[in-house]
Amino acid sequence: MASKLRKRENYLGWGFSSIYLIYTAIFWGYPFVWLVILSFSKWNFFGSPRLVGFKNFVRLFSDPIFWRIFLNTVNFMVYFIPMVLTLSMLFALALYRVSIFRTFFALSFLVANVSSGVAYSILFSNLFSESGPINSFLYKSFGFTIPWFSDPQLALLSISIMVTWKFVGYYGLILFAGLNAIPKSLYEAAELDGATNWQKFWKITFPLINPALTTVLVFAVNLTFGIFTEPYMITGGGPMRRTLTFMMHIYTTAFQRMNPSYAASLAVITGLLSYGCVLLVRFLVEREVSLV
Amino acid sequence: MTRAKRKRFPYITFTLLFIGSIIWIYPYFWLLFSSFKPTSEIYTRFWPTKFTIEHYKFIFLMSDKLQRPFLRALLNSIFISVSITFSVIVSSAFFGYILSKVRFKGRKSVFNFILFQMLFPGFMFIVPLFVLIKTLGLLNTYSAIILPSIISAWGSFMFAQTFKSIPDDYIEAAKIDGANTFWIVTRVMFPLARSTASIVGLFTFIGAWDNFMWPLIVMKDYNKMPLSVLLASFNHEYSSYVGPILAGSVIQTIPMVLIFLIFRKYFLQGISVSLK
Repeated sequence: MASKLRKRENYLGWGFSSIYLIYTAIFWGYPFVWLVILSFSKWNFFGSPRLVGFKNFVRLFSDPIFWRIFLNTVNFMVYFIPMVLTLSMLFALALYRVSIFRTFFALSFLVANVSSGVAYSILFSNLFSESGPINSFLYKSFGFTIPWFSDPQLALLSISIMVTWKFVGYYGLILFAGLNAIPKSLYEAAELDGATNWQKFWKITFPLINPALTTVLVFAVNLTFGIFTEPYMITGGGPMRRTLTFMMHIYTTAFQRMNPSYAASLAVITGLLSYGCVLLVRFLVEREVSLV
Repeated sequence: MTRAKRKRFPYITFTLLFIGSIIWIYPYFWLLFSSFKPTSEIYTRFWPTKFTIEHYKFIFLMSDKLQRPFLRALLNSIFISVSITFSVIVSSAFFGYILSKVRFKGRKSVFNFILFQMLFPGFMFIVPLFVLIKTLGLLNTYSAIILPSIISAWGSFMFAQTFKSIPDDYIEAAKIDGANTFWIVTRVMFPLARSTASIVGLFTFIGAWDNFMWPLIVMKDYNKMPLSVLLASFNHEYSSYVGPILAGSVIQTIPMVLIFLIFRKYFLQGISVSLK
C-alpha cells in the first residue's frame, strides 16, 4: 500500500517535472548551449558557425568601445548608487518617523516604480528637453538652461536621475522593512544611556539594516548592467558614446551590425562582470547580523 | 523627558516628506495634463487655458493612416500580458505544489536546478533565444513574445515556498474526500496562497507589459506590436507630434498604475512591507 502510494507520487512528481524540464531544455538549455558555442565562433546568422577559439574575447578586450562602455557603467554606478542610496535611506527614515499619511507617502514614491520604461523615457526627455518645463523654469528664475541630454558630461547624470526617480520608492520601502525589523527596545535602551540621534543611527540602525542594504545594493548593481530602454529611447548611446551601455551594444552588434557571435561573447562578459560586481558588493558590505 | 520628546509630532520630517512626494508625482501629473493641452501650451503652461482630447482622437483615429495602429497595439499588449500572466500563475501553482508537497525521488535536484537557473540574468540569452525563435519560424508572431515567458522559475519558487508552510493535513483531508491533484491544487492550495498568486501575477504582468527589448527584436509587424514598441517607433519617426506621443505614453502607463493601485497591498507584501 505504502509503496504503491510512493510510486504514484513518483509518477506525479516526474510527470510535472518533465513538463518543466522539457520546456526549460527548449527555452533555456538550448539558448544556453548556443550562447557558449556562439561566443567561441564567428557567425552572421547564415550558414554554420565557424569555431575561432578565444578570438572574440581577445578582440573584445582590445576594443576601445568596450572600454568606453565599461567606463560608462562605472560612471553610472558612481552617480546612481550614492544618489539612490541616500535618497531611499532618507525616505525610509522619514517614513519611519511619520506615523500619519504613511500609505499616501509610500504610494506616491512607489508609483514611479511602475512607470513603463518607454513611457517614462518619453516623459523625461520632454521634461528635460531644451524648451521643456524644467529648463524654462530654470531660465525664468536663474537665467540659464541645462543641456541635460545633449552634453556628453551630463547625459549619463540625467539618465541616473531618471532611474533614481523610478527606484527610490522601491528601494526605500525595502529599507523601511529593514527598519521595522529592528527591535524598538534597543533605541529605548540607547536613549536611557543618553545617546544622540546621530549615535543611534550609526551604532544601531546602520549595522542592523545591513541585510536590507545589501539587497538594495545587489538590485542596484544588477539594474546597472541591464539598462537599455532609457539610452535607446533618449540618447541612442550618444553624445560621444557616453551613454552607450552593455545592453545597447549587444543589441546593435547582434541585430544591426549582424554580428551575433561577437554579441554573444559580449553578453557572456557582461554576465560575468555583473556577477563579479554582485560578489564584490556582498564581500564588502554584507555582515553577519545577530541580536544577542 | 524622553517620552515627551518622542510624542512630539515630527513637523519638519512631515513637511519634507510631503514636498518630496509632490516632486515625485509631479512628472505623472505633467504627463497627464500635457496630453490634454493644446499643442502650443504643452511646454509653456502647467495649467492650460482649455483642455482638449484632440491628441487622443489623433492617436486612436488618425494614427492608422500613418500605419501605427494604436488601438490594435493596445489590444495586442493586453492579449500578450494577460496570456503570459495567466499561464505563469497556473503553471507556477502546479510546479510549486509538486516541488513542495509531492515526495518523489529527485525532487531536491529539480528544486536546486530552479535555484541555479535564477542565477543567470535573462539578458545573457537574448541573442541565442532569437536564434531559437528564428529556427522555429516564429519571428513576427505573438508566440515569439509569449512562448519564452509562459513558465517562470521564480514563480514556481515563490509558490513552492508558500505551499511549504501549509500543513499537510489539508491535503490528506482532501485526498480522503477523493480529490485528485488538479482539485487539490486549484481548490485547496491555491485559495490558501492568494497573496502569493497576486504577487506573482502582479510582477509578471508588469514585466510583460513593460517588456521592450525582446518584442523590439522579434516583432517587426506593426499590426502585432505591443504598445511599448509601437510607441517607441512612433516617437522615433514622428517626434514632432509631441501631443499624441504624450497621449500614447499616458495610455501605456495607465494600466500599470491602475493595477498597481488595485493590488498595492500585494505589491507592498512582495517587498515585505506592511503599513499598519
